[in-house]
Amino acid sequence: MELRICHLYPDVLNLYGDQGNIICMSRRLKSRGIDVSVTGACIGDSCRLTDFDLFFIGGGQDFEQEVLLGDLASGRAADIRAAVDDGKTFLTICGGYQMMGTHYVTSDGVRCDFIGALDLYTVGRNERMIGNMMFKCSEQNGGSMIVGFENHSGRTYLGPGCDPLGTVVCGSGNNGEDGTEGARYKNVFGSYSHGPILPKNPAFADFVLENALSRRYGEVHLDPLDDKFELAAHEYMIARLAK
Amino acid sequence: MKIFAIIACKLTRLFLRAIGRGGTALPGKVALRICPGLLSYLAKDVNTVVITGTNGKTTSSRIVEQAFIQTGKSYFANKSGANLMTGITAEFAAHATIFGKPKCENAVIECDEAAAKAVLKALSPKIVLVTNIFRDQLDRYGEVTHTLENIRIGLSAVPEALLCLNADCSLTASLAEDLPNRAVFFGVNVPIYKNRVAEVSDAPYCIHCKSEYVYDYVTYAHLGGYRCPTCGYARPQPEVAVSRIISQEADGSRIEIDDRGNKYTAGINLPGGFNIYNAVGAFTALTEFGFTPDEAVNALGGFECAFGRMEKFDFGRSPIRMILVKNPAGCNQVLNFLTNLDGDAVFVVCLNDNYADGTDVSWIWDVNFEVLLGMGERLKKVVVSGIRADDMALRLYYAGIDGDRLEVIRGGDELIEAMAESDAPVFVMPTYTAMLDLRGRLSEKYGVSRFWE
Ligand SMILES: [Zn+2]
Repeated sequence: MELRICHLYPDVLNLYGDQGNIICMSRRLKSRGIDVSVTGACIGDSCRLTDFDLFFIGGGQDFEQEVLLGDLASGRAADIRAAVDDGKTFLTICGGYQMMGTHYVTSDGVRCDFIGALDLYTVGRNERMIGNMMFKCSEQNGGSMIVGFENHSGRTYLGPGCDPLGTVVCGSGNNGEDGTEGARYKNVFGSYSHGPILPKNPAFADFVLENALSRRYGEVHLDPLDDKFELAAHEYMIARLAK
Repeated sequence: MKIFAIIACKLTRLFLRAIGRGGTALPGKVALRICPGLLSYLAKDVNTVVITGTNGKTTSSRIVEQAFIQTGKSYFANKSGANLMTGITAEFAAHATIFGKPKCENAVIECDEAAAKAVLKALSPKIVLVTNIFRDQLDRYGEVTHTLENIRIGLSAVPEALLCLNADCSLTASLAEDLPNRAVFFGVNVPIYKNRVAEVSDAPYCIHCKSEYVYDYVTYAHLGGYRCPTCGYARPQPEVAVSRIISQEADGSRIEIDDRGNKYTAGINLPGGFNIYNAVGAFTALTEFGFTPDEAVNALGGFECAFGRMEKFDFGRSPIRMILVKNPAGCNQVLNFLTNLDGDAVFVVCLNDNYADGTDVSWIWDVNFEVLLGMGERLKKVVVSGIRADDMALRLYYAGIDGDRLEVIRGGDELIEAMAESDAPVFVMPTYTAMLDLRGRLSEKYGVSRFWE
């Protein structure tokens, strides 16, 4: 088996260690003898999204997010929507997650149109929601507990067209109001969790990888790994945040 | 009121030291509570050099300070990492009479870049040296452009201050544009490393028009000869520049500095490319302050390295060096340097997530720890410790360090014991509070001087 990963906008959406998710996915696949290729798609690069199985989009600075809007408008947004409809797997974090929604309203009331692949939107506020976070994935998303770190000023609200990824146990999540965190639509996963999210949440990492492999090869179950280091980091934060 | 505030500040400081604590913030906090305008009052008759920026503040401050020491000028400095409003106020109060008259003519002040907004105005410095701007502890500062904005706001209140700016940092250099201040640029005109670690640029896009910069050369990270192909914003030609790197060794570098056409050869008694920048920045601040180029060169080769900046300890079987790490750019530079050394090594990484360390430890995934693999058999072991030891172990495990060479030692005393028994030279990379903790334990056990001394 092989999995072709596309890292969208590694040139600008590269903050907060989110590239650790790529390191993690590559390693967990290789440990099982699965071939993996990682291709970066920067602003202005032409590449066919149909050539990939899994897409990753991370978080970035607001300053650089503006640079992206032009690239999205020049056809990339339509390609991403087509890949989503085609059932391709996406893992999107923070700024990348917000961008998958329909739009963003800045704290000054200016509306920016985003990709529009998911029925959600984000409202900018001045004060940031920062700190360690913990949430429990819904059963549909594997049911595991996730520990991470959030740092966002945007409040995200889900429409009826997508489900939350999970329920906040500790921290703010989507908007600090409704107890939801992240979003799931078709094979798109969105979350505010940095940390990065995958390395110390190995159950969720494998859930996302199985999702992508199954689309291509039919019902795939990955063999368990010796997750000694992963689980030590996972359990330390659960114990600390449960207090 | 002022007198009362100064006395309260001095007494608090004395009391904290008497009970064996290095109180750097509390005395200032007490004084500012009593008299909020105290710092500008205390600073008004002092010639102050302020050093701010993300990386290199402390080392640059130590070099500047060294010139004052060597030439016998009366000065004081904030030494112990007390670089916020409160700590700086306490330092000025300690060096003033109870009536607020300064006891020293000059001051060398390291200032936290987020605090620069308020501190610069109060100090009205003669010279402000801005070392660079990188991503750092984002949970506290937001984004690099916010950091830049904080410094810009601070500087806008002190139009008479002379600015020494890093020409090679596109963010820092832009400070000269909207401010009336006279600015002198420093930089490095040649590449520094033969092989650089792959690293993410903190500023790939033009600060004015958001086009991607073109680089004629890169020294490290986003520093180098950048220009914007669209709007023309480009690296300003520095007045003071490193024109040649003569040699780079484990204990220091030799460089040639071109100061407006006059060339000086200087030895820097700390190694690494980042310290070449610290040296040329400090040289510029010193000569602008009025020191002769020779006095500045002497300072570069004679300063005491600041605590945690390649500090050397000899309590163990092998030499132990400690190098503070606090953000991806700084950590990549340390790895760049360490992995280029010859000989065996044991690495120790101590990761804490207290406020002063940055509460988000995600940044360790932006550091290219994979470069350690290039050391092959020379890398004997990697030990992790600190509050977030498990996160650090996981990062190193995913970097490809196998489980046999990776050890978690949770207790600080056990860690020191293990370091003392190492047969290979030890390089310790702690975050800020992890460093304070280690030093505290070392001072109890081996009498290493306490950090506020
Ligand atoms: Zn431009």
